[in-house]
Amino acid sequence: MGILTKANVIRAASILLTLLLWEWVGRSVNPILFTYPVAIAGAFYELVATGELFGFLWQSLQVLAYGFGLAVIAGILLGVIVGRFAAAEYAIDLQVSALYSTPTVALVPLIVLWLGFKVPAKTFVVFLFCVFPILINTQQGVRAVDRGLLEVARSFCSTERQLWRDLVIPSALPFIVAGIRLAIGRGLVGMVIAEFYTSITGLGYMIVRYANNFETAKLFVPIVTLALMGILLTEAVKQIEVRIAPWRRLREES
Amino acid sequence: MAIQEAAVGKVAEAAQPARRSGGAGEAWSGVPVRLISLTVALTAWELYGRFLLNPAVFTYPTAIARAFAQLTLSGELPAAAGQSFQVLFVGWLAGIFLGIPVGLLMARYRLVERSLDTYVNALYATPTVALVPLIINWFGFTVLARIVIVFLFAVFPVLINTFQGVRNVEPNLIEVARSFCSGESRLWRDVVLPSAVPYIVAGLRLAIGRALVGLVVAELFTAIAGFGGIIERSTSAIRYDRMMVPVVLLMFVGIGLTEGLKALERRLAPWSSRLR
Repeated sequence: MGILTKANVIRAASILLTLLLWEWVGRSVNPILFTYPVAIAGAFYELVATGELFGFLWQSLQVLAYGFGLAVIAGILLGVIVGRFAAAEYAIDLQVSALYSTPTVALVPLIVLWLGFKVPAKTFVVFLFCVFPILINTQQGVRAVDRGLLEVARSFCSTERQLWRDLVIPSALPFIVAGIRLAIGRGLVGMVIAEFYTSITGLGYMIVRYANNFETAKLFVPIVTLALMGILLTEAVKQIEVRIAPWRRLREES
Repeated sequence: MAIQEAAVGKVAEAAQPARRSGGAGEAWSGVPVRLISLTVALTAWELYGRFLLNPAVFTYPTAIARAFAQLTLSGELPAAAGQSFQVLFVGWLAGIFLGIPVGLLMARYRLVERSLDTYVNALYATPTVALVPLIINWFGFTVLARIVIVFLFAVFPVLINTFQGVRNVEPNLIEVARSFCSGESRLWRDVVLPSAVPYIVAGLRLAIGRALVGLVVAELFTAIAGFGGIIERSTSAIRYDRMMVPVVLLMFVGIGLTEGLKALERRLAPWSSRLR
């Protein structure tokens, strides 16, 4: 199918209409409060040309990568242990659900208090935002292994190791990747929040500074960057999902 | 298409409770271990916090309980709770009242879906927190600003799950209903809505969790009202016992609301147990 399907034409028309309307309304409003697409594009060009955007973006990405990487490792390890041993599950499941239900933002002032204003604090905030979906999904995946297959494998004297390699890991994998996909979205939120409340780095700081100065056109630059990051990262994990577990391919649009 | 897959994660996430509480026997056998684990954790925290830590570094459970009593008696906590819950529920309800109809329209009409899906996907993927300073610039440090923020956090899960629920109706059922000359309104009442309800309620549940996050972000940012206000002011005053009171309360509120909506889910749509 070409790119010029009816659906895409409607989408493009809708986007074009919105941008035109925004431009028209935006130009007639006080620039302190609102802005318009051309001004945002200008601000984008300016911030890219001065290198400011990439400097801050790089700081943000570093924090995101540390926190997210730690969460993937810890989440999968804990999830596997909790999924395998009932005692481990009972020992921590109350605490895990409690922390997962707490709005993690409420803990940020506390984390700042303990770990300071620098990279470790931010990494920890991102970690806390990311780890629970991965942990819970991993546990679910390990638990959701087909009982029939498990029995067959046991009957044919599969060792614990073979059982994991041939059965448990492959069937848990789609769950784990789904957890990672949920986590990356939350990680971005954590990153921005961490930057709001800690020291002067990253995209979050750009947002706060331009908001305080009422430079609305520039304020939209980090927002748009974050939107693009959200879309790209989620899409990337979806691609991995299709690659890694093609047997669980998601239902196609009818 | 991206919007279609949004709920897959939800199902994986929502799959959690039913499996865990598999059989009554299994659930009960875990109680002693849970109790021991909780007691050990709380006692260790109490002893460590009381005897080894400087109160300028952190606090301990009984001090938090005392601060809870003080803040309640002084009226500070009830006032903050009133402010917070008002914003939470108005914003959440606004999200429901916009999210469900738009989700239904997008699911029913291709034209609506295709004109809106780019925005819905883009806004859902954007970390909503990034918009908080902008909204505060627009609406000032007002109740309205906080309601708009909560609304923005809550609306998308409702919208996407409604859309998803309508789209996932068994096509065979629709065909049968059509073959028996079901009118549009009967089709919705008898087939589409009953099978969409579990998704919609799951959407409400996801939305309340996100709404709580939005509430706290908004309140921390403005530092004037509600639970977030107490957290922010107590942190500046180095009163960590007081700071932890709203944190613990928010934890219980989060658990309570999520569990309440899970119960509602079972009530409203007992036929959907396979989903969970």
